[in-house]
Amino acid sequence: MKPTENIEEFVKLEKPHVTTGGSMDKWTLNDSFAAMDETIRAGKPSAAGIILRSRAAKLAVAAVIFVAVGLLMVYRNPPVQPPPETVSVAKSPAEMLTAKSLIIAYRHGGIEAVERQCDKALKMQGPRLDKLEIKELFAEIETDLERMEL
Amino acid sequence: MIDEKILVWKFNRGSKDAFQMLYEKYKDDLLGLAITLLRDRSLAEDVVHDVFVSFAGTTGSFHLSGTLKGYLSTCVANAARDRNRSRSRRDVGLEAAEAMGCNAGDPVEYAIDSEQSGRLTQLLGRVAYEQREVIVLHLHQGMRFKEIAEALGISINTAQSRYRYGLEKLRSIMNTMVTK
Repeated sequence: MKPTENIEEFVKLEKPHVTTGGSMDKWTLNDSFAAMDETIRAGKPSAAGIILRSRAAKLAVAAVIFVAVGLLMVYRNPPVQPPPETVSVAKSPAEMLTAKSLIIAYRHGGIEAVERQCDKALKMQGPRLDKLEIKELFAEIETDLERMEL
Repeated sequence: MIDEKILVWKFNRGSKDAFQMLYEKYKDDLLGLAITLLRDRSLAEDVVHDVFVSFAGTTGSFHLSGTLKGYLSTCVANAARDRNRSRSRRDVGLEAAEAMGCNAGDPVEYAIDSEQSGRLTQLLGRVAYEQREVIVLHLHQGMRFKEIAEALGISINTAQSRYRYGLEKLRSIMNTMVTK
């Protein structure tokens, strides 16, 4: 093969095959072993250092730190929970203001729930009349009593 | 490859036997690389010696990301470049290339080495150092252009163009010799 035909092949084939001399081997190995001894004497790497050298260990440490920071943030700023909604068992304002309904509301949300239930009942009842006849009042009470008896 | 990883692992734990095995495995290859780059056996031996001593000093903290051959070849190339810059500014021509190996201890060894490595080394001696470096690292050490670019701190395009221009120069030198 002419060397000019394929220059890359020529360079590859002509790679020098040299060997080191015995004196060079001795000289290099002695100095290298001395360097190793010196490094080992200078400071043995700690177990933590060896462990942290691996990529998996680094990732694990990063994950632990991430989780710890997250927990710390949650602990310092706990999420605000919405107040429990009052369960309205009664449907009409009159039913909402019975002792039974009010006791249930108190058990669910304390005095605040009782207040909310009263406000709700008043809103449902609508605006108050300017004048209320005694007859109308009695009629309303009778109606309510009949409904309750039923 | 697995054996090499085990040897590196043992070396990292201070095993001198493992280091010696790694040395035996790569010493000749690295010496050939250094000789091709520097064209001076004595300087090349110094470079290989320094590279192995530096490598030995990393025991306990050595971390191998690629291949050990690539790592050591890069070290040799960098050390050879430093030597090439710092050595006296004398003109190292073909005469010096012919003197390659004069420091080899054994005359028979020198004669064999000269015969086997002299021709290409002499030809490459006429190619610019930067181009020679890329050619040898790619074709002899089997390094990819990306690896060479990272090792030498240049772009891949620069590495490829150095390689191309170096081969063109080598081709023209050889053509001139053939026509003569």
